[in-house]
Amino acid sequence: MKKKIVALLVSAVMTLSLLACGGGKETSGDSGDDSSKGQELTVWCWDAFNVDAMKKAGEIYTAKNPDVKINVVETVSADIQTLVQTYAMSNNLDALPDIFLMDDQVFAKYLQNYPEVFAELTNSGIPFSDFASAKVANSVRDGKNYGVPYDSNTVIACYRTDYLSEAGYTIKDLTDITWDQFITIGEDVLAKTGMPMLTNVQGEPDLLNMILQSAGISVFDEKGNISLVNNDGLVEAMNVYMELVEKGILQEQTDWSGYQGSINNGNVVGTINGSWICATIMSTDQAEQEGNWAVTNMPKLNDYPGATNYSAQGGSTWAIASSCDNYDLAVDFFKETWASSTEFYDSILTSLGAIATYLPAASSDAYNEVSAYFGNEAIYSKIVSFGGKIPTINKGIYWSEEKEALGVALANVMSGKLDLETAIKEAQSTVEFNIGM
Amino acid sequence: MRKIKNVSTYVILSIVSLISVFPLYWMISAATNNSTDILGGRLIFGTNLMNNLTNLLEQQNVGRAFGNSLMFSTILSVLSLVVCSIAGYGFEIYHDRAKDRLMGILLLAMMVPFAATLIPLFKMFTDLNLQSTWIAYVLPTISTPFLIMLFRQSARSFPKDIIEAARIDGLSEIRIFATIFVPTMKSTYAAAMTVTFMNAWNNYLWPKVIMMSEKSQTMPMLVTNLSVGYSIDYGVLMLGVLICSLPTGILFLVLQKSFANGIVGAVKG
Repeated sequence: MKKKIVALLVSAVMTLSLLACGGGKETSGDSGDDSSKGQELTVWCWDAFNVDAMKKAGEIYTAKNPDVKINVVETVSADIQTLVQTYAMSNNLDALPDIFLMDDQVFAKYLQNYPEVFAELTNSGIPFSDFASAKVANSVRDGKNYGVPYDSNTVIACYRTDYLSEAGYTIKDLTDITWDQFITIGEDVLAKTGMPMLTNVQGEPDLLNMILQSAGISVFDEKGNISLVNNDGLVEAMNVYMELVEKGILQEQTDWSGYQGSINNGNVVGTINGSWICATIMSTDQAEQEGNWAVTNMPKLNDYPGATNYSAQGGSTWAIASSCDNYDLAVDFFKETWASSTEFYDSILTSLGAIATYLPAASSDAYNEVSAYFGNEAIYSKIVSFGGKIPTINKGIYWSEEKEALGVALANVMSGKLDLETAIKEAQSTVEFNIGM
Repeated sequence: MRKIKNVSTYVILSIVSLISVFPLYWMISAATNNSTDILGGRLIFGTNLMNNLTNLLEQQNVGRAFGNSLMFSTILSVLSLVVCSIAGYGFEIYHDRAKDRLMGILLLAMMVPFAATLIPLFKMFTDLNLQSTWIAYVLPTISTPFLIMLFRQSARSFPKDIIEAARIDGLSEIRIFATIFVPTMKSTYAAAMTVTFMNAWNNYLWPKVIMMSEKSQTMPMLVTNLSVGYSIDYGVLMLGVLICSLPTGILFLVLQKSFANGIVGAVKG
């Protein structure tokens, strides 16, 4: 019996190997075949949200150009970074797709470190002035454009109005306020409903960074060097964050699943994040949440000079690879869809909730339509109006390093391991070490 | 006294096994629930399995990824077993000072992390125009110091007298290996198969870099796509993870008995 099983296994394995040989050759044949590639654009992007938006753009384009195929390959953001780095370092740019999406937090860094990867778009005819200027600036190097801006990173504060009214507040009480006022309201809401106002992932300093940008506080100096030490704004922002956690107004979650869960299961009153968070909020299947959400601006950093209620978080930008054989086709694809078609932006807004940074799209009807999920309010035009008020800060190219170090600093201070000053000093030296200063 | 010892051993073992089985149980039960329930901490089985399956099949090409993973992992494990068992056998049976030293160097190579060799390896394979082929997938990990060491250790316990006897009977060296060594080392092969197949199946970084065609997507890549995003459907994700862990689980169960069987074969006086 045993022998039979072994024999069976062995023969199965051999058949598979034989099949594999055939299959393998087929694959290699495909990659070497350039004639079919002539009219195909391969795109890398992550998340169903981006994949569907790109597919929609592909549909619109291929309707007019039936011989072109837009092939969208789902590739997670971290992998796109690894692959760009690997292919660039081994001088094998042909392995890159024609178009890829890149996280705004790392775009500038990759553009600086691997400029050979990105195709220049300055004189391509793509109207960059039609996009939000702060967003375009992210993919500009030495005055030249290298990216087509995609989703909005405007920060919004979303709250459950049913919980707020339980505690005797309305969304107006949370609009245009300072963090001190917010903490007072938060304490009251917590006492009356038992709900923390906000949720955040532990060790992720996203909210801290949003507070910093809202007050125009840079953690990089004019030369792009990290400057965490002796940064009064940073200390003030960190103090606000810690007060929120200590008073139980901000509940920290262990990871993204906990974060998403706290929102979807109605365990918190709200959250503050980039406007793409709307997709997460609407992803719950708990019907009672529909209509009970409202969007407003975030609190501002008390009396800090230059403090506003507006900030930016996340977002991403499209890039065309320098190795793209069909540069003209790729540019034309962007010109026809992402950089001109309000019809396209309307459709991804209504079907996916994807809010763009393409300015002409904001005046279209779809942006003024009310959202039933968010209490019958025209949240999209509201978000666009927030977008214009975000202070520009000196971001430098090492956001991700700074983010990581600040996350560690926050965790160390919160756990009582280090005092604020030492933690910030340590974060500064960590960043300097990591970027090789 | 002994009884008390026994009872406490059982209690401790039961607790430990419960802890190690729990994540598996949760993975299976989560695959039958919807995202909100999972995030809410629901542990019992739900009724959302078919729904999750439909969503998973809609979002991802599971059949292709599963087939690719199965194909690549099988080729890699079989070739790897053949190459490493011959190497391990050779290192032990024909050993001399030089070979022992070479073995030492091989073991040192175990300490080099894969990420360090990634870029040179990638360059080598693309220079040979082997990207996106199964050869590129399997070749870098076909021979591992660990497997060679495993077979070398088991060859050490293999009675040399049998080999001497076979040589006197006129058997060639290859036939001695194939007809005497291999059948007696079944349990080693089973253990090696399980480890290699699991590593091959879970391999992520190298396949992601070298298999550029979307057609060669594997299960771990598919699961990664499910696990990242602005709003993750945990029901679908857990079903994907469940499907992804089935083959290694089944393989382990099939070969499990061989572990226990120990080395078959004996030397007669």
